[in-house]
Amino acid sequence: MTQFKASQGRKKAPLTPWKSKTKKPLPGVGSLNGRWGYFAIAPFFLIFLVFGVAPVVYSIYIAFFKWAPMEDPEFNGLNNFIVLLQDSDFWLAIRNTFSIWALSTFPQLFIAISLAAILRNKRLKGKSFWRTILLVPNITSIIAITIVFQQLFGREYGLINLLLALIPGVENIDFIEGVIPSHIQIATMITWRWVGYNILIFLASMLAIPDELYESASVDGATKWQQFRYVTLPSLKNTITFVLIVGTIGGLQVFAEPQQLNAEGGSSKQFLTLTLFLFNQAFLNNKYGYAAAVGIAITIIVLIISAVNFWITRKISGEGK
Amino acid sequence: MKRSIASKTLVGSLICASVTAGLLTVPAKAAEPVTLTIWTFGEVIQPALQREYMKLHPEIKIVPIKNDVDPLHQKTILSCQTGGPADIIAFETPYSGYWRTGNRPKCFQDLREMKTSSTNAAAGVAAGQSALDIKKNYLPWRWEQGVAFNDSVIGIPTDVGGLQVAYRTDLFKKAGLPTDRAAVSKLWPTWDKFIATGQKYVSKLTPAEKKAGKAFIDDAGSIYAAVMNQGTVKYYEPNNTDAGKLVYKTNPQIKTAWNTTVKAMNSGIGARLGQFTSDWNIGMNKGAMATILAPAWMLDYIKKQAPDTKGKWDIADLPVGGGNQGGTQLGVTGYSKNKQAAYDFLTWYLAPEQQLKVFKTYGLFPSTSVLYDDAALLEYKDEFFSNAPVGQIYTKGVLQLKPIFEGELQRTIDSKFGAGLGRVASKKMTSEKSFALVISDIDKLFKN
Amino acid sequence: MLGLITFLSIFPFYWMFIVSSNTDAEISKSPPSLVPGPRFLEVAQKVLNAEGVYFSQALINTFIVGIAIAIAQVIFSAIAGFAFAKLHFKGRHFSILFVVATMMLPSQLGLVPLFILVNNLKLVNTLYALIVPALVTAFGVFWMRQIIDAQVPNELLEAASIDGASVPRIFWSIVMPSIRQSSFVLGLFAFLAAWNDYLWPTVVLLSPERFTIQVALTQLKPLQGIDYSLQMGGAFLATAPLIILFIFVGKRLVSGVMDGAVKG
Repeated sequence: MTQFKASQGRKKAPLTPWKSKTKKPLPGVGSLNGRWGYFAIAPFFLIFLVFGVAPVVYSIYIAFFKWAPMEDPEFNGLNNFIVLLQDSDFWLAIRNTFSIWALSTFPQLFIAISLAAILRNKRLKGKSFWRTILLVPNITSIIAITIVFQQLFGREYGLINLLLALIPGVENIDFIEGVIPSHIQIATMITWRWVGYNILIFLASMLAIPDELYESASVDGATKWQQFRYVTLPSLKNTITFVLIVGTIGGLQVFAEPQQLNAEGGSSKQFLTLTLFLFNQAFLNNKYGYAAAVGIAITIIVLIISAVNFWITRKISGEGK
Repeated sequence: MKRSIASKTLVGSLICASVTAGLLTVPAKAAEPVTLTIWTFGEVIQPALQREYMKLHPEIKIVPIKNDVDPLHQKTILSCQTGGPADIIAFETPYSGYWRTGNRPKCFQDLREMKTSSTNAAAGVAAGQSALDIKKNYLPWRWEQGVAFNDSVIGIPTDVGGLQVAYRTDLFKKAGLPTDRAAVSKLWPTWDKFIATGQKYVSKLTPAEKKAGKAFIDDAGSIYAAVMNQGTVKYYEPNNTDAGKLVYKTNPQIKTAWNTTVKAMNSGIGARLGQFTSDWNIGMNKGAMATILAPAWMLDYIKKQAPDTKGKWDIADLPVGGGNQGGTQLGVTGYSKNKQAAYDFLTWYLAPEQQLKVFKTYGLFPSTSVLYDDAALLEYKDEFFSNAPVGQIYTKGVLQLKPIFEGELQRTIDSKFGAGLGRVASKKMTSEKSFALVISDIDKLFKN
Repeated sequence: MLGLITFLSIFPFYWMFIVSSNTDAEISKSPPSLVPGPRFLEVAQKVLNAEGVYFSQALINTFIVGIAIAIAQVIFSAIAGFAFAKLHFKGRHFSILFVVATMMLPSQLGLVPLFILVNNLKLVNTLYALIVPALVTAFGVFWMRQIIDAQVPNELLEAASIDGASVPRIFWSIVMPSIRQSSFVLGLFAFLAAWNDYLWPTVVLLSPERFTIQVALTQLKPLQGIDYSLQMGGAFLATAPLIILFIFVGKRLVSGVMDGAVKG
């Protein structure tokens, strides 16, 4: 099968394809008839342009209109955007989305790496059993999980508060009304769903690290912890970046969990996320134009974040050499 | 061998023969099968009556699709744009303001143009009746909630919420309060007295009970809706245009309702259990609340969720008198392919006779005012609630109500106030700040 | 430690089973019962027969949609991905960059226009409304490009071309077999995404016979208020088929996930 090298080389390809293109010659086979390429990408592009790109372009267009269902659109100029920037709900949504993102991404990263390290070191029986278990949360229905977690996090009678009550002096936490507690509830659902998946990704990367590196390290007198810190972690840089980027794009689009808790994102919009805000403008407030403007704003935010991620990636992999 | 083959052939041909015979004797003329799709919520369409109708008319299949109220509204909007699948749609009265104005009434069939066929004549619904003919059976202000501003009748009323106070006789006794319903009703002719009674009740709770979250009323926030509905104007003032005039900033009833509710919240009489949450269900079983502001339709809910409390409840009058919560109109969609069958079903289902049955089995209080003199309604008692004459109690409450103008964004504005009160209850904001936020949130609805 | 992981992974699922097998009164007790009750089969029956919910139909619908999408995505993505990875043609740079850039767009951005488009095509309230827009994704093409780039050696393709094989032939006989594992993983992810998709089906499906399973779950409401055992029973039955499926294909998926992350 494919050889793994401990150096960066191939593994960087998916993360920064634009970068590798400027550094290496084009991949691909010159001797093959390139014109087949057009046929090959045609079906993809046809569907993609019609159903993927066109709606987005149209969205950009209607963002300049005021448009309620069953009525004619009226041109609105930049009004939607001006109102958006002054809309305190928009800024709340940004705060909430980032807070939930932070609460669900970083602890998850930490947990995933730690557990992957543990799973790697033991010579377990039934490895594939454990690995299957890790993916069960990922295939559980989102709607179902929201119901379960709502019960578990109930303010008076939820299991978590019942357990907390055993600790003297600790009061019941309201996991719906509180800003951070509600974010914790949502972040827990997200973490529960994805941590197993990420454990497996880290596990794979760890298994790719050749044993010789560990052997030479322990010969040099490194402890297990030092080995982890100086051998394992550096080799995981790319994987961490990958997980971060994917987690970011996904995290900025959290929708189903907050909506199931409360369709308006909470009584003081404490867990209103950006995509829920968009959805509500379109389908609760019947403002199609305004919703489109929100969509554009979200896109810009995602692009900025991705650019930042990309820049960080560059720095990290720059150092890694 | 030969014999068994022979017998198999015999059996085989007998089977073939009987199948063929069966196919040939299909009933000479079955009525054309019709499927009626109804988009509804909660208990608006009762399964027992639905089954009864299907028995009366075997060719009709009724398929109710249940949704939550707000998603149902969204789907109705979407389906109007696509000519979507439902034949009958229910809309709650707070949303009636939306459907009755603008160019939205076209989403529904004008029922003045429909006439009942003879199909239900035997069951008491005469043929040839249009909406205008059956109007007289209904409480006038409930009827108006289904009439659009271009005068087309887009929906017929189902139940009327009616609101009274369900209270726990055993818990009242423990707190030294009277338990007889007339005496209890006298305890609180005003909301202030209701709050005072609540404070008295809470003062008698043991510290352990207080810590466990027990209180007088399940959710003090429910007082807001009750007080609002006792007025004559909510968020829009009628001014002879279909839109009405927005008065959410000036209507004094809003401030009254808000302040009363905040007072109740601050006096500690609420257990802060949101209605229909799991905490609320559990709380009901544990005696976490001694009173619930109960529309008629909630009584059955209490019975199902807390069966062990049977006989421990009774029903008293609402402070001030006259209360309403909820109520629905059923309309036929403008794009339905089965308008006649839908209209026939509606006129049967919403006829006084059927509505009385609905009340007796499920507690939904009918809008068919012709029943309000009917002994069958007035004498009906409910065992679960200490044999309270619920028919009489709710009739009284309903007759005290005055109609309220419902504007286009009635429900949306209402939910903003509800959220605002929620913030006060959870002590996240002061009353003034929360109220200001409510107003600015509502302002946003009209900005673009 | 691993016991804890297993416990945490499985507990919510187990909880669904407990709640669905107990009576409402039992569920409303506090502290809640941690042991399943006797009612599961009864509740399961209620779920499957719940009026207006068409639960089993929803499961079938979701399977149909999921499999259609999985197959389509694998095929279209593989073809396009192959082109981007191995073929030289003008505009390949720009187009792949364009595709990758669109991966940044939130899926909800085009929600309303997509509804209008699907409405104009008269596909609202059909399963096609779910399948057609999902026949291809930017992610799928990108994934395939990376996979094919990494796993199919250029030398092999050159050799085949020298032998006179046409490009389509090369694709079918050489490329496809080499990426079998990864194709399977992509297909499975596409299937899972379709299975768990909630937002778009809620918007575009209006009749319950057409619902997919996530939407059907939101329909499981009894006459009044909330019936937890019913909802949880539905939740359990909605997840169980996937878990069973998973037990059979799990090994492949797991190694595929790991391969994809390392190699791709």
